[in-house]
Amino acid sequence: MPDTTRQIICRCEDVTEEEVLQAIAQGAATADEVKRLTRAGMGHCQGRTCRRLVNQLLARRLGQKPADQRPVTQRSPLQPVSLKTLADSH
Amino acid sequence: MANTSDVIIIGGGIAGTATGYYLAKHRLSVALFEQGHLCSGSTGRCIGGVRQQFTSASSIKLMMRSVELFAGMDQELDTEVHWHPGGYLFLAHDESNKQAFLDNIRVQRAAGLTDVRWVDAAEAKEIVPLLDTAGLLGGSYCPTDGQAYPFAVVNGYAQQIKQLGGSIHPFSEVTGILSQGGRATGIKLANGEEHHAPVVVNCAGPWAKEVGALAGIDVPVEPERHEALITEGVEYLGIPMLVDYRADGGYFQQFRHNGQFIGCYSPSPRVPGRSADSTFEFLAEMPRRMLKLVPALAQVKVIRQWAGSYEMTPDGNPVLDRAELGGFYVLGGMCGHGFMLGPAMGEAMAEFVRSGEKQPPFPEFALRRRFGQAEAMK
Repeated sequence: MPDTTRQIICRCEDVTEEEVLQAIAQGAATADEVKRLTRAGMGHCQGRTCRRLVNQLLARRLGQKPADQRPVTQRSPLQPVSLKTLADSH
Repeated sequence: MANTSDVIIIGGGIAGTATGYYLAKHRLSVALFEQGHLCSGSTGRCIGGVRQQFTSASSIKLMMRSVELFAGMDQELDTEVHWHPGGYLFLAHDESNKQAFLDNIRVQRAAGLTDVRWVDAAEAKEIVPLLDTAGLLGGSYCPTDGQAYPFAVVNGYAQQIKQLGGSIHPFSEVTGILSQGGRATGIKLANGEEHHAPVVVNCAGPWAKEVGALAGIDVPVEPERHEALITEGVEYLGIPMLVDYRADGGYFQQFRHNGQFIGCYSPSPRVPGRSADSTFEFLAEMPRRMLKLVPALAQVKVIRQWAGSYEMTPDGNPVLDRAELGGFYVLGGMCGHGFMLGPAMGEAMAEFVRSGEKQPPFPEFALRRRFGQAEAMK
């Protein structure tokens, strides 16, 4: 199997598969914990790409079923908005 | 016997992990229980500011100790907590604020914080060239105040607790305090498990009152909601934490390590309770307040908003004490200063527990004090 450990899981925060696996080795068992240890999902896109990948890695490493995984809280705004646009909105 | 330790800690935020680490360093065995994941309460929702500019001698001295601990933390915890002494600048736009800051500076300098000083509007502009100084009289500036990254600090403490032989139990809600003959003897978890220790420390943050009630102990801590937001990362501009106490003011800073701006303001009226809901009102209002101070940030984009709890006591000071139930301790009521106070107060709590002293180290933080005076620099 090819070595995938250096491939990027979270593109916004440059988090590699290896870093996610290290977080899991440190005890992270949920996407929320992986997020707080690695910043995967805390960047510009708010986890749109990496959320699924992190959950797949958790499932693979810890034998979790997708249905048992705790979802990460979704927060606004849905996409980045400038301070000026927001300030002018009211 | 399994499930037995020297100390049980309830709460996996800064108070619990710091207390646990300094106890573990004293070679006590520590078991820490957290109902969610580490940092899922208040610590993970704070904006990471660390300041020594307080108005009581104990808080100032504790914060000076916290700054020392933050500065040495990468080495001590073998991690990277992104401590950066970027400074704090409290802005005065009217004479009464100016006078209050001048009085505070005198108290702070008398307590040993010689780095703090009054700066006039021109010097404030030199420190923050992008600051709009319209109506500004000056400010209280301390360049050795700073910032750190809460998740890294808490995780660093937690990893070291494990290294030192302790245990961390996330997703383990405490539903009962066990006691016998007027002394705490352990805890019961939601899943029915029991864990035993002669010392139980309540570090439950916004849940401190509920955890106290499990032991029949009244803990005068009431949570209230505060909202925050964070932007994308941009070039680091060297702006200290700006604190604007005006009715339409707020506080924000830029993280040195990744260039993100993070900020919040205290809602008026207060929002009691543990709600973590976000509002559109805040999402519009906070940028307006930020741009009033630093208009050049207009095109910086907000990526996320959230909310968390301040744990308020009637006088704005924290609680560090033992309770009427033997072996049951309380560290909490940090009133929005938990992350910054946490390292020094965790260290002080560990020493208090280890020593077995009856009288708490800071009388003004006693559990049963008279709640008269109020901390001014909120």
